[in-house]
Amino acid sequence: MSEQKPLLEVENLNVRFHLRTGTVEAVRGVSFSLGRERLGIVGESGSGKSQTGRAILGLTPPPGEVTADRLTFDGIDLLSIPRRQLRNLRGGRMTMVMQDPKYSLNPVMTIGDQMIEAYRAHRRAGRKEAREKSLEMLEAVQMRDPARVFSLYPHEASGGMGQRAMIAMMLVTDPDFLIADEPTSALDVTVQQEVLRILDRLVAERGMGLIFISHDLRLVSSFCDRVLVMYGGKVMEELAAGDLDAARHPYTRGLMNCLPALEGSAHPLPTLERDPAWTQ
Amino acid sequence: MIDIRDLSVVFGSGRLRVEAVKGLSMRIAEGESFGLVGESGSGKSTVLRAICGLAPVSAGTIAVAGKPVPVPRNRAFFATVQMVFQDPYGSLHPRQTVDQILSEPLAIHRLSDRDRRIARALADVGLGSSFRFRYPHQLSGGQRQRVAIARALILDPRVILLDEPTSALDASVQAEILNLLERLRAERRLTYILVSHDLAVVTHLCDRLLVMRNGETVEETDTEHLRAGKAETAYTRALMKATEGFTRAAPASTE
Repeated sequence: MSEQKPLLEVENLNVRFHLRTGTVEAVRGVSFSLGRERLGIVGESGSGKSQTGRAILGLTPPPGEVTADRLTFDGIDLLSIPRRQLRNLRGGRMTMVMQDPKYSLNPVMTIGDQMIEAYRAHRRAGRKEAREKSLEMLEAVQMRDPARVFSLYPHEASGGMGQRAMIAMMLVTDPDFLIADEPTSALDVTVQQEVLRILDRLVAERGMGLIFISHDLRLVSSFCDRVLVMYGGKVMEELAAGDLDAARHPYTRGLMNCLPALEGSAHPLPTLERDPAWTQ
Repeated sequence: MIDIRDLSVVFGSGRLRVEAVKGLSMRIAEGESFGLVGESGSGKSTVLRAICGLAPVSAGTIAVAGKPVPVPRNRAFFATVQMVFQDPYGSLHPRQTVDQILSEPLAIHRLSDRDRRIARALADVGLGSSFRFRYPHQLSGGQRQRVAIARALILDPRVILLDEPTSALDASVQAEILNLLERLRAERRLTYILVSHDLAVVTHLCDRLLVMRNGETVEETDTEHLRAGKAETAYTRALMKATEGFTRAAPASTE
């Protein structure tokens, strides 16, 4: 499936922030390509994983500067197209699910109205059609009572409900490509599974490309097909998810080993030794 | 060391009445590390807050070191029991230096020799003296949590209540904090109650644990039992499975 032309091609992506205190290089020379598959990006805070996702969608905050030898989505050069066209693409054919539904949904609009707004921003459709489509989508994310959730304000929904509503909102325009930035970190372990299962099914059914950004190596490797491990803005290693045990890079191994395991783990836990040479 | 019997915590009244903890009992021996596991809203943090007097106890008894806890909690109580909170970004005063943060409990408890005590507390949690006059925003998440642990330790308590001490931290930093907690407990014969939603963390640090849901006890078990796959309830097994990573429900959806 992924043998066709890749959906997304990233070559030598750099994100820099020119600050008073000097230049911060958040992402340094990241390259990968994505077909209709699930790619995981793993790293600790500050590894540049979220900035990579944001740069692809053109969401790098103002002082930031994005450069790349190549950044194309379905053959469209994302760095040179007009902002207006990029805005149409974003939210339409490529979307992003953020970490915390509490902060990323509009608190003064009902979930339903937000979904209608999202749909009508990208499709020529009446309110009625948008409403039907939204309800359908809420049902697809396994809301027990879509009509009720539709009329709720974000603060009236639980974390898991809010996150599912956000997934529904992001998928209502039938995108080809989705970035999920820590979509389950704010959720309970049990709810997490449910949300991931929904995401997994929708991605598989619709043949979407997915980038899943997380700090949880275990979770990512069990969910994705391939994993990129990032540290200090650089890709340390790229692995097939099943080959995690065969990881060679000391950073990947360190990340794996420092997690306590249910079956028992070393006392004390091995901690990560960081080698400054990795970021050279 | 800690004996809780039929503890109930009720917030609000009438239509807004919420029973956060319903008739919970547990006994924790001195020097033991005990885990409380559950999802958000299960009442696990409320139990810790009730022990400290931060949540209203509506029924049941709490005894620490053989004596029922005083109401309101007095200084002697807090010299025995200290708490470390979840979010190191929220639990340290942003306008106080580490030195001021650590002086406060000493001032409240009228302890002398502050200089030496602060230096020792910092050294105990693996922070050098160079951290002493920094503000919280000049520290990383792991360093802040170390300061919060130092603040709890500075009074030489016998019991430390840990409310999700590592859930706001990166995996590698979590390992460092867990190692620190384990070392401190071994060195000082501390008693821990650790609240977490992560079974792997709890089984790493604790021998016995209690699974909670909706304010009720689901199961009281120990790490050995869980590792041998002898969880009694379906809920505990679901939690265990969730800890191990994502599993596809319908195998048909995988290629």
